[in-house]
Amino acid sequence: MSTRSAVMAEDLVKTYPGEVEAVKDISFSVEAGEAFGLLGPNGAGKTTTIGMLNSTVTPSSGRALLAGRDVAEDPMGARAISSVVFQDAVVDEPLTGRQNLSLHMKLWGVDAARGRSLLGDLTDTVGIADILDRPVSTYSGGQRRRMEIVRALLSTPQVLFLDEPTVGLDTRIRHDLFDIIATLRDQTGVTIIMTTHYLDEAERLCDRLGVIDAGTMVACDSPANLLAAIGTEVLELRADDTDRAEGVLRTNGVAMEDILVIGGTITASLRGMPGARAVQLLDESPVPIRSISTRPPSLDDVYLRLTGDRIAAAAH
Amino acid sequence: MTTTATPPTISVPLPTRSPQAHRVSVVPTLAIRRLTLTVRTPRSLIAPLLTPVLFAIVIAPALADTIAAPGKEGAYMTYIALATAGLLIPLNCMFSGIGVIVDREHGATRELLVAPIRRSSIVVGNLVAALATTALQMLVLIAASALRGATYVTGRDTLWFVAAAFLLAVVMYGVAEILATRVPSPEAFIAALPAIAIVPFFFAGSLFPLTSLPHWLAGVAKILPLTHALALFRYGLTPASGATALHNIWGGHDVTAMAALSLAVVAAYAVIVIMVAIQLFTRAGKS
Repeated sequence: MSTRSAVMAEDLVKTYPGEVEAVKDISFSVEAGEAFGLLGPNGAGKTTTIGMLNSTVTPSSGRALLAGRDVAEDPMGARAISSVVFQDAVVDEPLTGRQNLSLHMKLWGVDAARGRSLLGDLTDTVGIADILDRPVSTYSGGQRRRMEIVRALLSTPQVLFLDEPTVGLDTRIRHDLFDIIATLRDQTGVTIIMTTHYLDEAERLCDRLGVIDAGTMVACDSPANLLAAIGTEVLELRADDTDRAEGVLRTNGVAMEDILVIGGTITASLRGMPGARAVQLLDESPVPIRSISTRPPSLDDVYLRLTGDRIAAAAH
Repeated sequence: MTTTATPPTISVPLPTRSPQAHRVSVVPTLAIRRLTLTVRTPRSLIAPLLTPVLFAIVIAPALADTIAAPGKEGAYMTYIALATAGLLIPLNCMFSGIGVIVDREHGATRELLVAPIRRSSIVVGNLVAALATTALQMLVLIAASALRGATYVTGRDTLWFVAAAFLLAVVMYGVAEILATRVPSPEAFIAALPAIAIVPFFFAGSLFPLTSLPHWLAGVAKILPLTHALALFRYGLTPASGATALHNIWGGHDVTAMAALSLAVVAAYAVIVIMVAIQLFTRAGKS
């Protein structure tokens, strides 16, 4: 790992009382200006990992560095160069948006005049300038989240932590936030560490992804490379007799590797064989097939290939 | 032909930070935050202000009329009014502790925990806010009771009252922080509140002298910071009554020395309790 990385996680382990191993030896680094995502289901260890990076969780062992600052040995220094947007709204609801933002500026020691100027630019960018003087209790979920993102950027952090930034929001608002986060990142050059279990969010916002399963990082690469490892097309079929159906796939060379069976569903990576040809071969076979389709691979397929389970099914 | 506009770069110079100025302003910032939240929640403000008024203009005179010997009503009303301070300070400070739990449950604490500030300053900021509301309460109590007929002697000795009230508030707020760190919910906090804030009031020399208690219970009362604080309240504003209260604790005759000893007791509690509160809060802030 480069010593100039904006973020470095070295052999991080977190074991909670009762021998609960939330994180088992995770290591990765993130370069300045990069957007790095921790992708995995609920309970995989993403929030615990990010907590060890932002000083809210004490590692059982291992080391976390932010811009060269050891989070455990210099927590104040690490916090001074980072900001966090938590999964749940972390706001003083009786206060106005402006008061919440002003509090952040004061706690991070931001110069008042210059901070006000930046506040104006950021709130204009995200579209909340006209509601700043209303109590936050009157904001919608999307407005609160936008305010929290602005708040986190007011201190011009080198590292921005986003913990499930769009969870609980409706689809339209989620996609608006994707654009806002991407725009703000392009404008400010901040390094982003985010956790998510939403595949579209991971693909849209992240330069690289660390796939987390049961406290372990099972893959770390760009979304494009992770998907390329699956192939260009995925075959998905449902059958009562999956053993025979799998046999047909192998016998006809439809797929030799990356055949995964979960219940009555078979997923297989098509490498080289066109999807239409694969469907034709299966149609001609004597094995009864309930449904069959082909599609581009998704990160869920990546997760399935790496862990043997789909993200939604793996949540605990 | 479609052209795509490039989002403008936000080219504001990096906001400068002044480390020394920043550190000095953190506690006032947090205290103002807590006070603003209190003002924005009217019920949090009304009770602390109405309660001393109620005690001063209704309860204390009623008790004096009912219990005091003829001709002693004024003195007993003053006695009760000062005792009220020994109830209101613990109650107000303990209720302030609920704000700690609200902050933790609704998440504002997490924003403070990732800020580049000492975690002790979060506790101290809340303490300063609690002291401010307590000071306001005491002013209302003394003023209302004086208007109603209580008689106070003001002068240099008033500083004993001020110091004791300050230190007792620190003790009780520290207890509130400790309890808030340990209990899982506001309901559990409120359930514990009477035992901590109200029960000691009844045998700390508030409604009757310590000498009226069984010997063993008087011994227990002498360990409580409230007992010493109440004696100092009386010595600060009603010197004769206060001297008796101090003698009931220490048995001596040098009133100033006894007052200093009682102040030292309350101060020791204040230092220890706040240090424990800060330690527990800091530890609870990291899982």
